[in-house]
Amino acid sequence: MKMMDGLRGIALLATTLFAMSAIAVDVLVENAFLPGTGRAKGEPVTILISEGRIQSIGAEVTANDVERFDAGGAIVTPGYIDSGTSVGLAEVSGLGTSRDGRVEEVRNAAGFNVWTALNEGSSLIPFAPTDGVTRGVITPSADEANFAGESALVRFVKGDKFLAQASLAQHLYLREWNRRGAGGSRGNALQLVLEDLDEAARFLRDQRQYNSNKARPFSLSTRELRALGRVIKGERLLVVHVDRAADIRKVVTSFERFEDVKLIIAGGVEAWRLAPMLAERSIPVLLNVLDNVPESFDRLGARLDSATILDKAGVPIAFMSTTPYSEFRSLTQAAGVAVANGLPWDRALRALTEGPAEIWGIEGGRLAEGEVADLVFWDGDPIEIMSAPQAVMIDGRWVDLTTRQQQLSERYRDLLKLK
Amino acid sequence: MQQSIVVALFLLLQGAGIGHVSANPYPSTYEASAHSPYVLVSQAIDAGEGEGWFSGWVRVENNRITAVNTMDVPLPEGIEIRDVGEQFVTPGIIDVHSHLGDYPAPSYRAHSDGNEATSPVTAEVWAEHSVWPQDPQFPLALAGGVTTLQILPGSANLFGGRSVTLKNVWSRTVQGMKFPDAPYGLKMACGENPKRVYGSKGRSPATRMGNFAGYRKTWIQAREYQRAWQDYEQSLVEYEEKLAAASDESADADAGKEPPRAPKPPKRDIQMETLVGALEGDILVHNHCYRADEMAQIIDLSKEFGYQVTAFHHAVEAYKIGDLLAENNICSALWADWWRFKLESFDGVAANVPMVHAAGACAIVHSDSPNGIQRLNQEAAKALAAGRRLGLEISDSEAITWLTKNAAYALGVLDQTGTLAPGKMADIVVWTANPLSVYAQAAQVMVDGVVHYDRSSSERPITDFELGHREEVWK
Repeated sequence: MKMMDGLRGIALLATTLFAMSAIAVDVLVENAFLPGTGRAKGEPVTILISEGRIQSIGAEVTANDVERFDAGGAIVTPGYIDSGTSVGLAEVSGLGTSRDGRVEEVRNAAGFNVWTALNEGSSLIPFAPTDGVTRGVITPSADEANFAGESALVRFVKGDKFLAQASLAQHLYLREWNRRGAGGSRGNALQLVLEDLDEAARFLRDQRQYNSNKARPFSLSTRELRALGRVIKGERLLVVHVDRAADIRKVVTSFERFEDVKLIIAGGVEAWRLAPMLAERSIPVLLNVLDNVPESFDRLGARLDSATILDKAGVPIAFMSTTPYSEFRSLTQAAGVAVANGLPWDRALRALTEGPAEIWGIEGGRLAEGEVADLVFWDGDPIEIMSAPQAVMIDGRWVDLTTRQQQLSERYRDLLKLK
Repeated sequence: MQQSIVVALFLLLQGAGIGHVSANPYPSTYEASAHSPYVLVSQAIDAGEGEGWFSGWVRVENNRITAVNTMDVPLPEGIEIRDVGEQFVTPGIIDVHSHLGDYPAPSYRAHSDGNEATSPVTAEVWAEHSVWPQDPQFPLALAGGVTTLQILPGSANLFGGRSVTLKNVWSRTVQGMKFPDAPYGLKMACGENPKRVYGSKGRSPATRMGNFAGYRKTWIQAREYQRAWQDYEQSLVEYEEKLAAASDESADADAGKEPPRAPKPPKRDIQMETLVGALEGDILVHNHCYRADEMAQIIDLSKEFGYQVTAFHHAVEAYKIGDLLAENNICSALWADWWRFKLESFDGVAANVPMVHAAGACAIVHSDSPNGIQRLNQEAAKALAAGRRLGLEISDSEAITWLTKNAAYALGVLDQTGTLAPGKMADIVVWTANPLSVYAQAAQVMVDGVVHYDRSSSERPITDFELGHREEVWK
């Protein structure tokens, strides 16, 4: 109860600070605790934030002429990173007319950049920080397409700060239902994908001839060739959305001839079957932990402890939400369920923070000097399902945690006099 | 009244020499296996009544709970004691909205048996005729503590058909899973789905007003059908009386007088039988409906035709009309936080369940999902946390009723299960921790006193489909 009073105090304080700090100012966070290795609090910590970054962090940090923020004994974590979501691409996922995340009726949409469609004013953006999520990878989806386009990295603040990195990775879909564009066989889909990459490699080699119109004809447009060229040169990560172990193995082995390609497996329901192979090659896997239903012949090996198996084998892992139903809460819930199924607590926290930051090669995910100041102050265990952030900072700015849902709830709580 | 139609049918068919017609032509064949009696002892029992955790014991004999006591009452002697210590005990979880078996895994078109989307009124179909008992999703739900579940037809139609309530036990047949004597449900649907499915085929309903016209026309037919049978029953009674009178009088006295003529029964219509069952309260009405304004219209519809809506399902805007739902004694079966996947779900809030509860209405957490059904306890926890953050005072134990007592009430089986009370089925879950924690797992799940799932010993049913496919997963 005492804890709760303290937290109410910081919530009030956070509101005040938010009003004060429309622009980033120096803030000294006091009376916060680092996460421990278990579910308990770790070391007490003081953090100085300046210019949107963590200036210094430790037990002995002091500063004058700064705003002071008393965290009230709360655990502070880095902002969570969602490795796969569609917020900003669709207000209502089921409404085709409000959805921009997918290019339909083509097999190769490699040249599509989701950032061109992102809505920085979406009312969905403020939901992410209320679940502790401060950054996310906005992923193109696919139906018939295999190459679906390039994802973008966002910070979950409305307005011009929403887009953090316009082009992060190329996304390739090779799941059971992504073979229609390839004539109905997944084998043909993989062959065509490899031919596309070969063609892009030839495009890179024969750039001069191409420009002077002397090259052999290409079947892909310049836009696709350039996009795939970035993949071949390793300038963009290649995220392959694939579930069946047999397919994952073929992807890994057949892509080896493209030496600079940086491969990531997404979904990877059966990736656990190939854990040693993936670990040996340091190929990361992005997981939706809650996806444990054998809903297709690609997913017969679906299980709740695949994060545990992969992590134990040394495969880098990160979590993604990718559900339009409960979105960001499902990310922390997934981490909790992974813990319940054997993943050590600190590894689960890592798969929401430092893990994805390393996999994507982006800032954030760490509480360290010089890092971006994405901080979340929790009212309890930061993975426990009933916990919630009391205050959130993104890039050194306090975030307003009011959402449309909250406005609706409060309106009807008051109208019906609920208590 | 379904009884009376049945009695009428029985008389009719006997009279016609056709033989017996059953009210229950696909009866449950489920029989709980025998087990030795035991006493389950725990420091944290929640009886599902919303009254809090207590340290105590539950006595289980012959598949039933025979006593529930606090530790103040000494443990009985001469019976096996199963002390689970600090592990938590609750009634079995009940999901009032599931499609397991009628949309089984693997999920292919050949397995898609939940929506008879060929006509907006298909009250004649029964979900149990679609259920595949080898669906590997049943044991996954069992591992989440689910002991009872209602399988509904989908929501493409205004009247989707009959639901069936199952016990979550492995069986070769659907009949072997059917919850004995549970009432049937009638699935109805509001809003976007029916108007989208039929509007896109260029037929009615294509709008929400078209939906309502469809409900009203159908209920009018059902009332007419009901009246035709009532008239027939009446004339049958009169006929029986005349027959009796005729046999009492001397045959000679009435010689030459024509014998009374047996009345002709109306033609049986299985669509109408289900609808009349709903009008008469024998079949419970489960209405898929998202928006508050549409639910209010459905309430008027139910009054126009004189039936009771048992529960609104999905009801993402129930929080806007908690008072109306309480007043009309309608439960709301809800997701914790699903939202924005379609336009009519855009106003979904995470505090929906606790707000409905706080308005004094019956709140239930449901899944409608093979993933969600495995973690209904976590869904309740999310909802509870959102309610508390909104300032609502709701106890952990009240949140457990959203998964147990209230769900059993909405299925019409609260007298059989849903709480831990003497005389009830021993449907019990032992949890490794407080089930409102994300770290909690079902340690043991008992259905009718028999352990069907045991986490530590990997005791669990394995469906035929899983053999040769998923051995590594359950090892």
